[in-house]
Amino acid sequence: MKRPLLILLGALALGAAIFAGSFFTARHTTMICCEKPADDLNWLRLEFHLSDADMARIREMHEGYLPKCAEMCAKIAAAKRELDSLGNSGTNVTAEAQAKRKEIANLRAQCQAQMLEHFVAVSQAMPAEQGKRYLAEMKQLTLGTNELMEKSMSDHAGHEHGSN
Amino acid sequence: MNAPDSKLTALLRDARPSPALPSRFQQNVWRRIEDAAAPAQSESWLDALAALILHPRFALATAALLLLAGVFAGMADGRQFARHDAQMNYLAAVAPHAAR
Repeated sequence: MKRPLLILLGALALGAAIFAGSFFTARHTTMICCEKPADDLNWLRLEFHLSDADMARIREMHEGYLPKCAEMCAKIAAAKRELDSLGNSGTNVTAEAQAKRKEIANLRAQCQAQMLEHFVAVSQAMPAEQGKRYLAEMKQLTLGTNELMEKSMSDHAGHEHGSN
Repeated sequence: MNAPDSKLTALLRDARPSPALPSRFQQNVWRRIEDAAAPAQSESWLDALAALILHPRFALATAALLLLAGVFAGMADGRQFARHDAQMNYLAAVAPHAAR
């Protein structure tokens, strides 16, 4: 192989090694420095630039909300266990299983409503612009997937009907 | 005096026969003379690049630039990752079903 080509390839390899080495070292160091898993609210403080007073209000709301959320989760989990114990064998859907599914759906709806109420309350405890951004982001994170699924299903159903 | 000399010369030539020249000998000699006399060919872009890479100032500057670029890109990526991690932490606390 020609010498200049070897020099070029060697320089490229060395350059890539320097970039990759510094990239991964800096990435690792930043991840360790920024990591504060002890506090759930750390993200709020950093992302929405909240003052200590805002954080104190939000922390109070957060701590008040957590037991309610845990209670709803426990109810949903219990209802799911009951549904599983009914034994959904074969294709038969018993009236009891149907009722349990409705109960789970209701519990989920209540849980979601409670969660949205909490998001609204937290957003109101923030400066107006940040609150708006927080609410939009939380809706996107929690309801976005469902909405996307519903939209894709309704689009699909629309096409099906249109083709008939 | 002349006659014995020419005789002697002929005798010597016969005694030491010179080997036959290779084919196109004269043409090859002229070609080599022309090649040597011609100005040096301009170097290719690859040679120029290799020469530039071997230049210490250029090599050092490029290495420093790559190092800085790597550090900044790594920090940005690490911050993004940490932000996402913290966001998932918060989401897991307030909406355990959504975070799953």
